[in-house]
Amino acid sequence: MIKQCLIGVLIAGGLQTGYAQSPDRINLSDPNLVIVDDSVIPIPLEIFASLDKLGAQNWSAQVEKRDIVLDTNRSRTAMLFGLIVSDGFIAVQAEDKDGVKRMGREVLRLASVLGISNSVESHANSIITHAGHGEWDVVRKELDRTRQTAINQMKQQQDEELVDLVSLGGWLGGTEALSAVLKENYTLEGSDLLNQIDLVKQLKSDFNSLPKRARRGKLFSQVEKTLTHLESLMISDASGSISEGKVIEISLSTKNLVNAIYES
Amino acid sequence: MKADSNLLLFLKRLFPSILVASAFLSVSAQDSKEEAPVVLEKIDPIKLAAQRAALGDLTGEKPFILRESGWKGTINPGEARLVQIQLFRRNEYQFWLAMGDRKAELNLNIYDGEGQKVESEEITYDESNVVSTRVKPALTGVYYVRISLKTTIEDPQEWSMIYAYR
Repeated sequence: MIKQCLIGVLIAGGLQTGYAQSPDRINLSDPNLVIVDDSVIPIPLEIFASLDKLGAQNWSAQVEKRDIVLDTNRSRTAMLFGLIVSDGFIAVQAEDKDGVKRMGREVLRLASVLGISNSVESHANSIITHAGHGEWDVVRKELDRTRQTAINQMKQQQDEELVDLVSLGGWLGGTEALSAVLKENYTLEGSDLLNQIDLVKQLKSDFNSLPKRARRGKLFSQVEKTLTHLESLMISDASGSISEGKVIEISLSTKNLVNAIYES
Repeated sequence: MKADSNLLLFLKRLFPSILVASAFLSVSAQDSKEEAPVVLEKIDPIKLAAQRAALGDLTGEKPFILRESGWKGTINPGEARLVQIQLFRRNEYQFWLAMGDRKAELNLNIYDGEGQKVESEEITYDESNVVSTRVKPALTGVYYVRISLKTTIEDPQEWSMIYAYR
Protein backbone atom coordinates (compact mmCIF):
# COMPACT_ATOMS: atom_id res chain seq x y z
CA MET A 1 0.00 0.00 0.00
CA ILE A 2 2.78 2.38 1.02
CA LYS A 3 4.70 1.33 -2.07
CA GLN A 4 1.66 2.06 -4.29
CA CYS A 5 1.25 5.49 -2.70
CA LEU A 6 4.93 6.24 -3.20
CA ILE A 7 4.71 5.27 -6.87
CA GLY A 8 1.64 7.51 -7.17
CA VAL A 9 3.54 10.44 -5.64
CA LEU A 10 6.53 9.83 -7.91
CA ILE A 11 4.31 9.72 -11.01
CA ALA A 12 2.54 12.92 -9.98
CA GLY A 13 5.92 14.56 -9.32
CA GLY A 14 7.19 13.48 -12.71
CA LEU A 15 4.14 14.90 -14.44
CA GLN A 16 4.48 18.11 -12.53
CA THR A 17 7.94 18.68 -13.97
CA GLY A 18 6.34 19.45 -17.31
CA TYR A 19 3.68 21.63 -15.74
CA ALA A 20 5.99 23.29 -13.21
CA GLN A 21 4.61 26.54 -11.85
CA SER A 22 6.71 29.66 -12.05
CA PRO A 23 8.47 30.56 -8.80
CA ASP A 24 6.88 33.14 -6.51
CA ARG A 25 10.18 34.93 -6.24
CA ILE A 26 13.27 35.13 -8.42
CA ASN A 27 16.74 36.11 -7.31
CA LEU A 28 17.60 38.90 -9.74
CA SER A 29 21.30 38.69 -8.88
CA ASP A 30 21.44 35.02 -9.90
CA PRO A 31 24.18 34.87 -12.56
CA ASN A 32 22.33 32.03 -14.31
CA LEU A 33 19.34 34.22 -15.18
CA VAL A 34 19.05 34.88 -18.89
CA ILE A 35 17.90 38.45 -19.47
CA VAL A 36 16.85 39.29 -23.02
CA ASP A 37 19.10 41.98 -24.50
CA ASP A 38 16.54 43.87 -26.58
CA SER A 39 15.26 46.84 -24.65
CA VAL A 40 11.93 48.46 -25.39
CA ILE A 41 11.74 52.11 -24.38
CA PRO A 42 8.25 53.34 -23.44
CA ILE A 43 6.74 55.83 -25.85
CA PRO A 44 5.49 59.15 -24.44
CA LEU A 45 1.82 58.22 -25.03
CA GLU A 46 2.17 55.25 -22.72
CA ILE A 47 3.23 57.60 -19.92
CA PHE A 48 0.76 60.35 -20.82
CA ALA A 49 -2.06 57.75 -20.72
CA SER A 50 -1.29 57.16 -17.06
CA LEU A 51 -1.12 60.87 -16.20
CA ASP A 52 -4.39 61.63 -17.99
CA LYS A 53 -6.14 59.17 -15.65
CA LEU A 54 -5.51 61.72 -12.89
CA GLY A 55 -7.30 64.45 -14.85
CA ALA A 56 -7.02 66.44 -18.07
CA GLN A 57 -3.57 67.92 -18.64
CA ASN A 58 -2.54 70.92 -20.69
CA TRP A 59 -0.59 69.13 -23.41
CA SER A 60 -1.11 71.99 -25.88
CA ALA A 61 1.33 74.11 -23.89
CA GLN A 62 4.03 71.52 -24.61
CA VAL A 63 3.71 71.68 -28.40
CA GLU A 64 6.58 73.82 -29.56
CA LYS A 65 7.47 74.99 -33.04
CA ARG A 66 11.21 74.79 -33.40
CA ASP A 67 13.37 75.34 -36.45
CA ILE A 68 15.82 72.59 -37.19
CA VAL A 69 19.14 73.46 -38.75
CA LEU A 70 20.84 70.27 -39.85
CA ASP A 71 24.57 69.68 -39.97
CA THR A 72 26.72 66.70 -40.92
CA ASN A 73 26.63 65.15 -37.45
CA ARG A 74 24.54 61.98 -37.89
CA SER A 75 24.46 61.31 -34.15
CA ARG A 76 22.75 64.63 -33.53
CA THR A 77 20.39 64.01 -36.47
CA ALA A 78 19.42 60.64 -34.96
CA MET A 79 18.64 62.28 -31.61
CA LEU A 80 16.64 64.95 -33.45
CA PHE A 81 14.69 62.20 -35.21
CA GLY A 82 13.76 60.70 -31.85
CA LEU A 83 12.86 64.15 -30.50
CA ILE A 84 10.67 64.99 -33.49
CA VAL A 85 8.74 61.72 -33.18
CA SER A 86 8.20 62.42 -29.49
CA ASP A 87 7.01 65.94 -30.45
CA GLY A 88 4.52 64.17 -32.69
CA PHE A 89 3.24 62.12 -29.75
CA ILE A 90 2.81 65.31 -27.71
CA ALA A 91 0.96 66.99 -30.58
CA VAL A 92 -1.34 63.95 -30.86
CA GLN A 93 -2.07 64.16 -27.15
CA ALA A 94 -2.91 67.84 -27.64
CA GLU A 95 -4.90 66.94 -30.81
CA ASP A 96 -2.96 69.65 -32.62
CA LYS A 97 -3.44 68.96 -36.35
CA ASP A 98 -0.91 71.53 -37.57
CA GLY A 99 1.67 70.41 -35.02
CA VAL A 100 1.38 66.78 -36.14
CA LYS A 101 1.50 67.66 -39.83
CA ARG A 102 4.58 69.83 -39.28
CA MET A 103 6.21 66.96 -37.42
CA GLY A 104 5.35 64.54 -40.25
CA ARG A 105 7.16 66.78 -42.72
CA GLU A 106 10.20 67.07 -40.43
CA VAL A 107 10.31 63.29 -40.07
CA LEU A 108 10.56 62.99 -43.85
CA ARG A 109 13.38 65.54 -43.98
CA LEU A 110 15.39 63.90 -41.18
CA ALA A 111 14.76 60.39 -42.56
CA SER A 112 16.17 61.50 -45.88
CA VAL A 113 19.37 62.75 -44.24
CA LEU A 114 19.68 59.48 -42.29
CA GLY A 115 19.16 57.41 -45.45
CA ILE A 116 15.95 55.75 -44.26
CA SER A 117 13.35 57.76 -46.13
CA ASN A 118 12.16 54.83 -48.29
CA SER A 119 11.07 52.89 -45.22
CA VAL A 120 9.60 55.79 -43.30
CA GLU A 121 7.92 57.73 -46.10
CA SER A 122 4.61 55.85 -46.18
CA HIS A 123 4.17 56.20 -42.41
CA ALA A 124 5.03 59.90 -42.41
CA ASN A 125 2.60 60.56 -45.27
CA SER A 126 -0.08 58.60 -43.45
CA ILE A 127 0.53 60.72 -40.33
CA ILE A 128 0.09 63.93 -42.33
CA THR A 129 -3.08 62.67 -44.07
CA HIS A 130 -4.78 61.23 -40.99
CA ALA A 131 -3.84 64.20 -38.79
CA GLY A 132 -5.67 66.39 -41.30
CA HIS A 133 -8.80 64.29 -40.69
CA GLY A 134 -8.30 64.24 -36.93
CA GLU A 135 -8.01 60.42 -36.93
CA TRP A 136 -5.85 60.31 -33.82
CA ASP A 137 -5.90 56.55 -33.26
CA VAL A 138 -4.40 56.00 -36.70
CA VAL A 139 -1.87 58.81 -36.22
CA ARG A 140 -0.83 57.32 -32.89
CA LYS A 141 -0.21 53.91 -34.48
CA GLU A 142 1.65 55.43 -37.42
CA LEU A 143 3.92 57.39 -35.10
CA ASP A 144 4.94 54.23 -33.27
CA ARG A 145 5.41 52.49 -36.62
CA THR A 146 7.57 55.38 -37.87
CA ARG A 147 9.82 55.05 -34.84
CA GLN A 148 10.03 51.25 -35.05
CA THR A 149 10.51 51.19 -38.83
CA ALA A 150 13.34 53.72 -38.56
CA ILE A 151 15.00 51.60 -35.88
CA ASN A 152 14.59 48.38 -37.91
CA GLN A 153 16.01 50.05 -40.99
CA MET A 154 18.99 51.42 -39.06
CA LYS A 155 19.70 47.95 -37.69
CA GLN A 156 19.54 46.56 -41.21
CA GLN A 157 21.98 49.22 -42.38
CA GLN A 158 24.23 48.34 -39.42
CA ASP A 159 23.80 51.83 -37.97
CA GLU A 160 23.34 50.36 -34.48
CA GLU A 161 24.64 53.46 -32.73
CA LEU A 162 21.95 55.56 -34.36
CA VAL A 163 19.28 53.22 -32.94
CA ASP A 164 20.32 54.03 -29.37
CA LEU A 165 20.40 57.76 -30.15
CA VAL A 166 16.90 57.71 -31.67
CA SER A 167 15.65 55.95 -28.53
CA LEU A 168 17.46 58.42 -26.31
CA GLY A 169 16.05 61.43 -28.20
CA GLY A 170 12.52 60.00 -28.03
CA TRP A 171 12.74 59.33 -24.32
CA LEU A 172 14.26 62.75 -23.65
CA GLY A 173 11.47 64.58 -25.53
CA GLY A 174 8.78 62.66 -23.68
CA THR A 175 10.44 63.22 -20.31
CA GLU A 176 10.81 66.94 -20.97
CA ALA A 177 7.08 67.25 -21.72
CA LEU A 178 6.05 65.05 -18.79
CA SER A 179 8.18 66.92 -16.26
CA ALA A 180 7.01 70.30 -17.60
CA VAL A 181 3.36 69.27 -17.16
CA LEU A 182 4.07 67.91 -13.67
CA LYS A 183 5.95 71.07 -12.73
CA GLU A 184 2.96 73.21 -13.68
CA ASN A 185 0.49 70.97 -11.88
CA TYR A 186 2.45 69.03 -9.27
CA THR A 187 0.80 66.10 -7.51
CA LEU A 188 2.47 63.38 -5.46
CA GLU A 189 0.50 60.78 -7.40
CA GLY A 190 1.53 62.03 -10.82
CA SER A 191 5.18 62.47 -9.85
CA ASP A 192 5.67 58.70 -9.64
CA LEU A 193 5.77 58.61 -13.44
CA LEU A 194 9.28 60.03 -13.22
CA ASN A 195 10.40 57.05 -11.18
CA GLN A 196 12.48 55.82 -14.11
CA ILE A 197 15.87 55.29 -12.54
CA ASP A 198 16.45 51.85 -14.09
CA LEU A 199 15.47 53.15 -17.48
CA VAL A 200 17.82 56.14 -17.27
CA LYS A 201 20.63 53.82 -16.10
CA GLN A 202 20.02 51.65 -19.13
CA LEU A 203 19.96 54.63 -21.50
CA LYS A 204 23.18 55.93 -19.96
CA SER A 205 24.84 52.55 -20.27
CA ASP A 206 23.72 52.28 -23.93
CA PHE A 207 25.03 55.80 -24.56
CA ASN A 208 28.39 55.11 -22.92
CA SER A 209 28.74 51.92 -24.97
CA LEU A 210 28.56 53.86 -28.23
CA PRO A 211 31.82 54.22 -30.15
CA LYS A 212 33.62 57.44 -29.19
CA ARG A 213 33.30 58.81 -32.73
CA ALA A 214 29.52 58.72 -32.32
CA ARG A 215 29.53 60.86 -29.18
CA ARG A 216 32.36 63.30 -29.72
CA GLY A 217 31.90 66.99 -28.94
CA LYS A 218 30.41 69.39 -26.44
CA LEU A 219 26.79 68.35 -27.06
CA PHE A 220 27.50 64.72 -26.24
CA SER A 221 29.39 65.64 -23.06
CA GLN A 222 26.21 67.45 -22.03
CA VAL A 223 24.15 64.35 -22.83
CA GLU A 224 26.33 62.24 -20.53
CA LYS A 225 26.27 64.83 -17.73
CA THR A 226 22.51 65.24 -17.97
CA LEU A 227 21.89 61.48 -17.82
CA THR A 228 24.09 61.24 -14.73
CA HIS A 229 22.21 64.14 -13.17
CA LEU A 230 18.82 62.60 -13.99
CA GLU A 231 19.95 59.33 -12.45
CA SER A 232 20.46 61.16 -9.16
CA LEU A 233 17.06 62.88 -9.43
CA MET A 234 14.81 60.01 -10.46
CA ILE A 235 14.95 58.36 -7.06
CA SER A 236 11.54 58.05 -5.46
CA ASP A 237 10.59 57.85 -1.79
CA ALA A 238 8.97 54.75 -0.27
CA SER A 239 5.58 55.63 -1.78
CA GLY A 240 7.09 55.91 -5.25
CA SER A 241 6.76 59.72 -5.40
CA ILE A 242 9.36 62.24 -6.59
CA SER A 243 9.54 65.55 -4.72
CA GLU A 244 8.41 68.78 -6.37
CA GLY A 245 11.96 70.17 -6.18
CA LYS A 246 13.29 67.18 -8.09
CA VAL A 247 10.52 67.44 -10.68
CA ILE A 248 11.48 71.09 -11.30
CA GLU A 249 15.13 70.08 -11.60
CA ILE A 250 14.29 67.25 -14.03
CA SER A 251 12.23 69.68 -16.10
CA LEU A 252 15.06 72.24 -16.29
CA SER A 253 17.71 69.67 -16.96
CA THR A 254 15.82 67.95 -19.80
CA LYS A 255 14.73 71.29 -21.30
CA ASN A 256 18.34 72.52 -21.39
CA LEU A 257 19.49 69.37 -23.14
CA VAL A 258 16.64 69.41 -25.67
CA ASN A 259 17.42 73.06 -26.48
CA ALA A 260 21.10 72.22 -26.87
CA ILE A 261 20.29 69.41 -29.31
CA TYR A 262 18.06 71.69 -31.40
CA GLU A 263 20.43 74.66 -31.32
CA SER A 264 23.89 73.12 -31.55
CA MET B 1 -16.91 36.07 -48.54
CA LYS B 2 -17.66 39.68 -47.72
CA ALA B 3 -17.08 39.00 -44.04
CA ASP B 4 -13.70 37.48 -44.92
CA SER B 5 -12.61 40.50 -46.93
CA ASN B 6 -13.77 42.85 -44.17
CA LEU B 7 -11.72 40.89 -41.64
CA LEU B 8 -8.69 41.04 -43.92
CA LEU B 9 -9.04 44.80 -44.29
CA PHE B 10 -9.27 45.13 -40.52
CA LEU B 11 -6.20 42.96 -40.01
CA LYS B 12 -4.25 44.92 -42.60
CA ARG B 13 -4.98 48.15 -40.81
CA LEU B 14 -3.86 46.75 -37.49
CA PHE B 15 -0.80 44.88 -38.62
CA PRO B 16 1.20 46.06 -41.63
CA SER B 17 3.06 42.73 -41.72
CA ILE B 18 -0.21 41.07 -42.73
CA LEU B 19 -0.44 43.54 -45.58
CA VAL B 20 2.95 42.36 -46.81
CA ALA B 21 1.90 38.74 -46.37
CA SER B 22 -1.32 39.18 -48.28
CA ALA B 23 0.43 41.04 -51.09
CA PHE B 24 2.87 38.18 -51.40
CA LEU B 25 0.19 35.49 -51.31
CA SER B 26 -2.12 37.20 -53.76
CA VAL B 27 0.61 37.35 -56.37
CA SER B 28 1.40 33.65 -56.02
CA ALA B 29 -2.08 32.95 -57.35
CA GLN B 30 -1.58 35.20 -60.37
CA ASP B 31 0.03 34.52 -63.71
CA SER B 32 3.61 33.46 -63.11
CA LYS B 33 4.77 35.76 -65.96
CA GLU B 34 3.85 38.82 -63.89
CA GLU B 35 6.59 40.53 -61.97
CA ALA B 36 6.88 39.45 -58.37
CA PRO B 37 6.29 42.21 -55.85
CA VAL B 38 9.00 43.51 -53.62
CA VAL B 39 8.55 41.90 -50.21
CA LEU B 40 9.40 44.68 -47.81
CA GLU B 41 9.83 42.71 -44.63
CA LYS B 42 10.12 39.09 -43.67
CA ILE B 43 6.93 37.69 -42.21
CA ASP B 44 7.34 36.32 -38.74
CA PRO B 45 4.62 33.63 -38.34
CA ILE B 46 5.22 33.37 -34.60
CA LYS B 47 4.76 37.11 -34.07
CA LEU B 48 1.70 36.86 -36.28
CA ALA B 49 0.26 34.19 -33.95
CA ALA B 50 0.74 36.54 -31.00
CA GLN B 51 -0.84 39.40 -32.95
CA ARG B 52 -3.78 37.24 -33.94
CA ALA B 53 -4.38 36.40 -30.28
CA ALA B 54 -4.19 40.11 -29.41
CA LEU B 55 -6.79 41.11 -31.97
CA GLY B 56 -9.85 40.85 -29.74
CA ASP B 57 -8.33 43.09 -27.08
CA LEU B 58 -7.44 45.90 -29.49
CA THR B 59 -11.01 46.87 -30.23
CA GLY B 60 -14.15 47.53 -28.25
CA GLU B 61 -14.97 50.06 -25.58
CA LYS B 62 -11.64 50.12 -23.77
CA PRO B 63 -9.17 48.81 -26.31
CA PHE B 64 -5.56 48.11 -25.55
CA ILE B 65 -3.06 50.04 -27.67
CA LEU B 66 -0.53 47.70 -29.20
CA ARG B 67 3.12 48.74 -29.26
CA GLU B 68 5.06 48.15 -32.44
CA SER B 69 8.09 46.97 -30.48
CA GLY B 70 8.46 43.46 -29.20
CA TRP B 71 10.93 40.74 -28.32
CA LYS B 72 11.91 37.44 -29.86
CA GLY B 73 14.40 34.65 -29.37
CA THR B 74 14.89 30.93 -28.95
CA ILE B 75 14.32 28.89 -25.80
CA ASN B 76 14.90 25.27 -24.77
CA PRO B 77 12.29 23.22 -22.87
CA GLY B 78 12.67 23.74 -19.13
CA GLU B 79 14.41 27.10 -19.59
CA ALA B 80 13.28 30.63 -18.79
CA ARG B 81 14.03 34.12 -20.10
CA LEU B 82 13.53 37.48 -18.43
CA VAL B 83 12.51 40.63 -20.24
CA GLN B 84 13.06 43.91 -18.41
CA ILE B 85 10.45 46.60 -18.94
CA GLN B 86 9.41 49.93 -17.40
CA LEU B 87 5.71 49.97 -16.47
CA PHE B 88 3.62 52.88 -15.25
CA ARG B 89 1.08 52.83 -12.45
CA ARG B 90 -2.59 53.40 -13.37
CA ASN B 91 -2.02 51.79 -16.79
CA GLU B 92 -3.02 48.24 -17.51
CA TYR B 93 -0.71 46.11 -19.63
CA GLN B 94 -1.26 42.94 -21.59
CA PHE B 95 1.48 40.68 -22.93
CA TRP B 96 1.09 37.95 -25.55
CA LEU B 97 3.66 35.21 -25.95
CA ALA B 98 3.71 32.73 -28.83
CA MET B 99 5.97 29.84 -29.79
CA GLY B 100 6.22 27.82 -32.99
CA ASP B 101 5.13 24.29 -32.04
CA ARG B 102 1.40 23.98 -31.38
CA LYS B 103 2.15 21.44 -28.65
CA ALA B 104 4.44 23.83 -26.76
CA GLU B 105 3.17 24.82 -23.32
CA LEU B 106 4.27 28.14 -21.89
CA ASN B 107 4.38 30.13 -18.70
CA LEU B 108 4.19 33.91 -18.70
CA ASN B 109 4.54 35.78 -15.39
CA ILE B 110 5.38 39.26 -14.20
CA TYR B 111 7.82 40.10 -11.39
CA ASP B 112 8.51 43.44 -9.75
CA GLY B 113 11.92 45.11 -9.44
CA GLU B 114 12.61 43.08 -6.28
CA GLY B 115 11.93 39.77 -8.02
CA GLN B 116 8.54 39.18 -6.38
CA LYS B 117 5.82 37.70 -8.58
CA VAL B 118 2.99 40.17 -9.02
CA GLU B 119 -0.67 39.37 -9.39
CA SER B 120 -1.74 39.05 -13.00
CA GLU B 121 -4.62 37.63 -14.95
CA GLU B 122 -3.65 34.71 -17.14
CA ILE B 123 -5.49 34.30 -20.43
CA THR B 124 -5.32 31.08 -22.41
CA TYR B 125 -6.36 30.27 -25.97
CA ASP B 126 -7.45 27.15 -27.86
CA GLU B 127 -3.83 26.37 -28.69
CA SER B 128 -1.33 25.97 -25.87
CA ASN B 129 1.51 27.67 -27.77
CA VAL B 130 -0.03 31.11 -27.24
CA VAL B 131 -0.61 32.62 -23.84
CA SER B 132 -1.34 36.08 -22.51
CA THR B 133 -1.32 37.89 -19.20
CA ARG B 134 -2.72 41.18 -17.94
CA VAL B 135 -1.23 43.24 -15.15
CA LYS B 136 -1.97 46.51 -13.35
CA PRO B 137 1.33 47.60 -11.82
CA ALA B 138 0.99 48.83 -8.23
CA LEU B 139 3.96 51.17 -8.65
CA THR B 140 5.76 52.84 -11.52
CA GLY B 141 9.12 51.20 -12.08
CA VAL B 142 11.03 48.38 -13.61
CA TYR B 143 9.38 44.96 -13.94
CA TYR B 144 10.46 41.62 -15.35
CA VAL B 145 8.40 39.45 -17.65
CA ARG B 146 9.42 35.81 -17.19
CA ILE B 147 8.74 33.47 -20.04
CA SER B 148 9.37 29.75 -19.83
CA LEU B 149 8.80 26.65 -21.90
CA LYS B 150 7.54 23.54 -20.16
CA THR B 151 9.24 20.21 -20.72
CA THR B 152 6.21 18.70 -22.43
CA ILE B 153 8.07 18.93 -25.75
CA GLU B 154 11.70 18.27 -26.63
CA ASP B 155 12.65 20.76 -29.30
CA PRO B 156 13.89 24.32 -28.72
CA GLN B 157 11.31 26.90 -29.69
CA GLU B 158 11.43 30.27 -31.34
CA TRP B 159 9.34 32.73 -29.40
CA SER B 160 7.86 36.15 -29.91
CA MET B 161 6.30 38.49 -27.36
CA ILE B 162 4.31 41.67 -27.91
CA TYR B 163 2.54 44.00 -25.50
CA ALA B 164 -0.12 46.67 -25.30
CA TYR B 165 -1.30 49.23 -22.76
CA ARG B 166 -4.46 51.13 -21.90
